[in-house]
Amino acid sequence: MKKLLYAFLLVTSASLFAARAQAQVIVIANPSVKATEVSKNDLKDVFTGASTSLGGSNVVPVLLKSGTANEEFLQVYIGKNDTAYRAGWRSLVFSGQATMPKSLDGDAAVVDFVAHNSGAIGYIGKASPHEGVKVLTVK
Amino acid sequence: MKRLLAGAIALAPIALALGAIPASAQSLEDLNIQIHGYATQGFLYTTNNNILTTSSSNGSPEWTEAVLNVGAQPLPKLRIGVQARYFLLGNFGNAITLDWAAADYKANDKFGVRFGKVKVPSGLLNETQDIDPSYMWSLLPQGNYPISSRNSALADYGGVVYGTLALGPKLGKLEYRAWGGEFAIPSNDGYWVSFREEGISFPNGDSGTTAGGALHWKTPLPGLMLGASLNRDNRSGGALVDTYVVPAGPSQGVTITTTGTLTLNPSDTPDFFGRYEKNRFMVAGEYERSAGNLLLSGLSPIPDYYDIRPWYGMASYKLTDKLTAGVYHAEDFDHATPLGPSRYFKDWVISGRYDFNQYLYAKAEQHFIDGTSVGYDADLNPGGLQPNTKLTILKMGMSF
Repeated sequence: MKKLLYAFLLVTSASLFAARAQAQVIVIANPSVKATEVSKNDLKDVFTGASTSLGGSNVVPVLLKSGTANEEFLQVYIGKNDTAYRAGWRSLVFSGQATMPKSLDGDAAVVDFVAHNSGAIGYIGKASPHEGVKVLTVK
Repeated sequence: MKRLLAGAIALAPIALALGAIPASAQSLEDLNIQIHGYATQGFLYTTNNNILTTSSSNGSPEWTEAVLNVGAQPLPKLRIGVQARYFLLGNFGNAITLDWAAADYKANDKFGVRFGKVKVPSGLLNETQDIDPSYMWSLLPQGNYPISSRNSALADYGGVVYGTLALGPKLGKLEYRAWGGEFAIPSNDGYWVSFREEGISFPNGDSGTTAGGALHWKTPLPGLMLGASLNRDNRSGGALVDTYVVPAGPSQGVTITTTGTLTLNPSDTPDFFGRYEKNRFMVAGEYERSAGNLLLSGLSPIPDYYDIRPWYGMASYKLTDKLTAGVYHAEDFDHATPLGPSRYFKDWVISGRYDFNQYLYAKAEQHFIDGTSVGYDADLNPGGLQPNTKLTILKMGMSF
């Protein structure tokens, strides 16, 4: 019985860990973006203003204003929290090097913007509907 | 008149860029207009000496900045923007000035061009040295980034070309920037303090041309950037007024005034820097050298030589999502000055920043300064300068 209990705890812990490790956020792009997959480094460059192209396409990042998907995206792919991330963008804006990306209220607004703007790239929660956009695989 | 002309030159690229926008992109939504800004209020207290032209030994709140930025992106590859600043630090500033006003066309990641009044991208931090919300320190290393005379180094009327070249998966990326233009040093800039202490003033300031280039190598080791820049200034030389008060004899107290000129040879400033960031940790360092000759032809010609070599090393660690702590050590030596505290400036600094949210932050910083070559004004220290100073800075800031 004790062994069974240990095995149960082990499997439960492993499942929880796997769920935690698997990103609950997806990266979406306008169908005009040629790329179908993106490296973590290239994704970081696009969302920190270091690059404006991806796989030969000009891209425009769009952000979520807040929420779990936003926090997870920034933590997993950018390596910063929301405050530090936006401070980085402000540094570019105040030195004349970039324009702040649009920040939208929720997943539906991001999907709508990405679907209707050539080159747009954004991120949403994995479970959110995302018709009219393509999902990019992050390598 | 000169200011008006400079303003017109700075705003010309914006007017040209707006004129180039097709009629189909005329709505405000299409122009993607954004307004940003920030404001900071600092408080300085020193144990010895008054620093940065404030009465800091009594505690001084005379450090205020406010910035307003208006930008637009009318076309995917075209941005235009303008930024104005109110700056007060002791006896400096207390005026609204134009930070930059530029049009930027980025053809692709490999090539972009910016022109108008543009930030000069030399060194590690020059482009962002006046943007308080972007870093954790209250006062950057003063040998490399002197706050009292930063205006002439920050921006020029000209252009910048920039881009990023991929060197392959094993060699990383190379960012390049090249710039050229005209700059001005206003008559009230901190650069003139040491001249004024010798009775020499420059009623019209000075101006000149500047050109340079910078390379930032983003190495294959994630987070490691190494770079170098070279800047050449060619000053036109300003008209000076030399004032001399006869100290003794029958003419004691008589003021003699004459005019003259400041002549400088073109000067090169090489700069080497690096930064490494990993997770919550950051470490950076920079070294530059500025050397040259100048000739002051006032009452009697005064040849002078300077050889200034400032450097610093800094590190910071993000303790929590809201709290960051850091330390840096900075030194500045003028190798052409006689031995003594006025020849150098050494500064040990511990600093902390707390972000209440993405808009509001507070900073606290302690400096342990040895030497007096940077940041002091004899007029505000009539009893003479002590070689050591402890400087405490508290600062609040908000940005949007």
